[in-house]
This record gives sequence, structure tokens and C-alpha cells, in this order.
Amino acid sequence: MSITEYNGGCVIGMAGKNCVAIACDKRYGAQYQTLATDKTKVYKMHDQLFIGLAGLATDQQTFYERLKFRLAMYSLREERLIKPASFGKMVSTLLYEKRFGPYFIEPVIAGLDKENKPYLFSSDFIGAPLLPDMDTNGFVVAGTCTEQLMGMCESMWRKDLEPEELFETVSQCLLAGQDRDCLSGWGAVVHIICPDRVITRTLRGRMD
Amino acid sequence: MALALSNAFTAMSREARRHERRTKNPANPELPAYDEEEMLMKFAMPGPNAPDDFLSGAFAPKNANDSDPALKFLHGTTTLGFVFSQGIIIAVDSRASMGSYIGSQTVKKCIEITPYLLGTMAGGAADCMFWERHLGRLCRLYELRNKERITTAAASKLLHNIMYSYKGYGLSMGTMIAGWDKDIGPNLYYCDSEGTRVKGQKFSVGSGSPYAYGVLDEGYKFDMSIDDACELGRRAIYHATFRDAMSGGRVSVYHVHENGWTKISMDDVQLLHEKYMKEAGRTTPAWNHM
Amino acid sequence: MDHLLGLVGDGYALVAADRNVNHSIIAVKHDEDKILKLDNSKLLGCVGELGDTKNFSEYVQKNMALYALRNGCHLSTHAAAHFVRGEIAHAIRHSPKMCNMILVGFDGDSGPSLYHIDYLGGMHRMNYGAHGYGGFFASSLMDRLWRPNMPLEEGIQLMKKAFAEINQRFLVGGATFTLKVVDKDGTRIIDLGEQNNSMQT
Repeated sequence: MSITEYNGGCVIGMAGKNCVAIACDKRYGAQYQTLATDKTKVYKMHDQLFIGLAGLATDQQTFYERLKFRLAMYSLREERLIKPASFGKMVSTLLYEKRFGPYFIEPVIAGLDKENKPYLFSSDFIGAPLLPDMDTNGFVVAGTCTEQLMGMCESMWRKDLEPEELFETVSQCLLAGQDRDCLSGWGAVVHIICPDRVITRTLRGRMD
Repeated sequence: MALALSNAFTAMSREARRHERRTKNPANPELPAYDEEEMLMKFAMPGPNAPDDFLSGAFAPKNANDSDPALKFLHGTTTLGFVFSQGIIIAVDSRASMGSYIGSQTVKKCIEITPYLLGTMAGGAADCMFWERHLGRLCRLYELRNKERITTAAASKLLHNIMYSYKGYGLSMGTMIAGWDKDIGPNLYYCDSEGTRVKGQKFSVGSGSPYAYGVLDEGYKFDMSIDDACELGRRAIYHATFRDAMSGGRVSVYHVHENGWTKISMDDVQLLHEKYMKEAGRTTPAWNHM
Repeated sequence: MDHLLGLVGDGYALVAADRNVNHSIIAVKHDEDKILKLDNSKLLGCVGELGDTKNFSEYVQKNMALYALRNGCHLSTHAAAHFVRGEIAHAIRHSPKMCNMILVGFDGDSGPSLYHIDYLGGMHRMNYGAHGYGGFFASSLMDRLWRPNMPLEEGIQLMKKAFAEINQRFLVGGATFTLKVVDKDGTRIIDLGEQNNSMQT
């Protein structure tokens, strides 16, 4: 078993019309043993910007702490909120810093920019960015069930989803995807980032 | 027909030559598998140069450092069986996992060998399914020849003999054979592909078995009511599906009694989870949420 | 081969570890205490490689004492868990320490808590948890019997059931256990009675 699969878990990001979604499962395991079912992997960076970290739990925590520090320094220096695109570069750089001893995580970023245009980002564990084409493939996935999630997204996603439609789509994709994977699941959390608010909902998922 | 035969012989001699070349030059086993003569034949050949080498790692680890064989069978499972005052309870989950992929959530892991004999399935699905069906045939033949039912001991011994004769061939199965024998009563045997065959009161087999044992041992009493015993089996499997990533789906419970076996229930694990959590007054804590 | 488990109850947290020290095929010792008192309101159960566990848990203990001297206040359980996790996460890429830990503590404002920390530095707060092979048997038992706000007596009974199950099913039976509690009055060892004293050297 690869080290990125040791703790299990998955993250998904999806774009809508003036809104963007990010969601994750809640499993925390040690190989095939489930240790806890309340580990969320999506963190809020600011009101319009969220990051999800799939992969090895220890690196998720370390990376999140370092990222929070970097972001605080950025905000102090710039005296403004970071733009999602700049944040993507920051994550990419932070990952590449450990090129020869990488963090075993795959990040997913979802945010809204100043024009309320959705921003999605994912990368491999040394920071090679993957920016989806928002017109044809407005979704990114990471974690232990990427094949399943990608398949679901390919068939369910369409352009310009309204927030509630986006919620329904991203939830169905995530639940269907993780139900075919031993190492993720045990519940899910979905965030829909809209210009004026963030809708956060906990989903009932299969607990096996 | 003759042409086909001659083709087959040509293929055989070619294979022999190839084998010879490989054994002559062990330092380079990846020698091209074709020679000039073959080039002329212009057959489209499948990728691997040496099929035996190519397959050697498929079913067993290629070397000691590999923990997994390349081809994975149905593996994760939780099954259990126990004897109590009113017979035997057999409970099983229904997930088929291949590595971390979930192949199916609706596998029938309790095999109905005869109306008086039940077998469970853990390990390779095909191995269990085939040999327990074979066992069913043998049991029926026994019944026709001897005009009486085969005992659980004899049936499990038949399976054991087969398993033992195939020992080392890579079969993979861990099974419990449960039955009610005339004038003797309930009998439960554990058989596996290593050639083990033991009689016992309480067994659990599969990747989730340690979890199932935890619940089973704690709640087991010989003098239980049938309902309590079924609930114990159901609970033990449910708790195993919760903790073990490779077990899940539905819990099937069977009761083996004087008149054969009865299927008691089949419950979706998700519904059981919600019911049990409610009964225990438990909710997911919120500290770890963002 | 070590067992480490813990649970949180009504105003207290329990942590238990087996007492065996093994080397190769030899049981070197039968009464080792694997649960270190970090300060008056925190216990760190630590299993794994003996050199690593002893060295690391004492390193944590002394650094927390140093922090208290410097700053005039103790770390909260949450902060202590993050400190431990950070050190392990740093170590995993430098000189890995084979330490699996359960940290339990009692804080005046937030009550008892339990943190499950593995040798990689993965940390998670739980109501109950376990490490090692014993965890396979004990975790489903605790899933079955743990209830929110269990009184201390029930918590101890649950622990005893877990010990019995581990000894019944685990390949290497005959383990004896240390059980400690932390609550508003500090930390205490819980006497497990006769059954546990028979294996002492």
C-alpha cells in the first residue's frame, strides 16, 4: 500500500455559476483499520477560499500549519485577502520546497475571485499545478478514490450550476465515488462557496 | 483438424526452443521471444516475452519485498459462527473488495450446501464458491448412496481432504461448515486452504474477524434465546464492518436448527448503524470539524 | 505486541498499557510502566520500540516542565498533543521514532480529553482509542460498550473487559496491564487487583 493511501480519504472540488464547491469524506484510518469517522480534510483559508488536503494525515496537519503561517504573513505584509490564484501559487511553491522529501499530500483549492468567478486548483505532491478548463471540466479530485470520483464528475457535471444544483451534484459524485472505495467514506462534509455566504452541510454517508 | 494439430505442434516446438534459449542464458531472461523464423510467420504476438515469467508474479508475490500479488482476489470479509443451546448462528457480511476497490456490496457469502448444511465464504470467492458447490454435490451423492444425511463431521472432512490435496497450490479459502446432525445435534467446523480442520463452539473468519471476536466474546452465553443469539451475530458483524475497511454491505444471519437452516434476516449495515447509534445515545463529536 | 488503549468518561479519562518488555523471543520484564505522568493533569501512554518510547516520552515531559518554568503556566492538553505531534512529525523525516501514543489530560475549562497520536505524527482527538494488535479486539468492544459520560466505575469495567478480550484472543496471552486515570484531582494508578500481580518478576 502506498504511503499516500495509509490514512485514506478523498477531496473533491467543483465549479458552478458564481459559486464553487469543495467537499471531503470523514474517514481517518491506519491502512484497513478505521480509527475515527470525524476527520474532515477541508480547511477555511478565508471566507471565499478553502483548501482540501488528501493523503497522509501527518503531512496534512504539518502542511496546513505551515500554510496557515505563510498566509498570515502574506496578509500582514499585503494588508488584504489573498487572491485564489496567488494562493494556488503559494501552495505549489510550498510543496516544491520539499522536492526531495515531499509531503505525501494532494491539495485541492476552491475559491471565488473578485469577479465571483470560481477558481479550482489541484496538484500532485510536489506542486505541479492542475488547473481544469472551467468550460469543459469544472472539477478536480484527490485522494484514494480519484478514478471513481473522476468518472462520476465526468458524467454528472455541467456548466453553470446554481448553488443548490451544485450542492446536489457534488454530493452525489462524492457519495457514489467513496461508496466504491474501502479507504474513504464514513460520512462527508460539503462547502458551497457563494459570493455572499458559505453553505456548509454534513452528509449522511455509509458507515462501512 | 490436421492443420490445427500441426499448428499446435509447431507452437510447442517453438516454445521449447524459446525455453531452451532462456535456460541457456539465465543472465538475460528477457531475450526476444521471436527468432527469424517467427518473424517470417508475422503472427501478432501478445506483449510478454516469456509468459511463465510474466505470470509468476501474478498470483503470488514476485519477491520477498512485495507484500501483494499483482492479481487480487476477493479478500476482505467478516464471517462468524457459534454454537449455542438452540443450534448454530451463522452471520456474514456481503462486501467483495479487490485491493481497496469495492467490487460488490451484495455478495452472498453464506453458501447453502444442503438443506441441513451451511458453509461460509472468506478468501477467494471463486475457490469458496466452486469447492463448496462441489461439496454439495458430494453430499447429495452420499445421501443417495447411503439413504441418510451426511454428518457435518463427514462433510467437513470431505472438504478438508480436497483442501489438503491442493495444499501449496495457492487456493485461498477460510470457511465454516455448520450443520445439524441426526441424533447428535449442532456441529460447527472450521476448514481452510492450509489444510486446517477444527471443530469448535465459536469462530470468526476474515479480515474483520478480530473486531467480530471482540463483540462476540463479550456477549456470548451458551443459554441464549434464538433472538438474542441472532442479534449478537448481527451486532458482531456490524461492528466489524464499521472498523474494517474491507467488510461491509449487508449482514445476513442464518440459524441452523433441528430441521435444517433458516435465513433469519438480511440488514443493510447503514440502517443498523443508525439504529445502534440512536440506542446508545451517541452522536459524532464536533471537535475535529473545521 | 504492545497494547495501549484509552477512553474518556464523565469528568475523567483512562489510559491503559500492557506491562511486558520483550526482546527477541524473551520476555525481559513483566511490570514495566508505559504510562508517563507529564504533569499533574496529563498522562502519556507510549508503546513501540522501548528505547524510543522511554527517551521520547521523557523528552516531552522535561520540555513541558521547562515550558511551565519559563512561562509560568502549563500547556493545555490540546497544546501538549500538538507539541508531541509536531516533534514526531519532525522526527519522521529525520530520525524516526517508533512511538505510538495516547495522550489523556484534564483541563479546568474543557474537561477531560484524549488524543490518539501515531508514529508518523498523525493526531486525532477521540472519545476512545487504541494502538497495536490489542486495538483490533478492543476497539470493536469499545464501539459496542462505550457510552457518553460513563461513570468511572463503568469505565474501569469496560477497560477490564477489553483486557480480558485481548488476553483471550491475542496470540501472546497472559498480558498484565497498568491502568491510570486523570481527572480534576490529578492522576492516579487504578489497582486492578490480584489477577494482575501474579506475573510480576
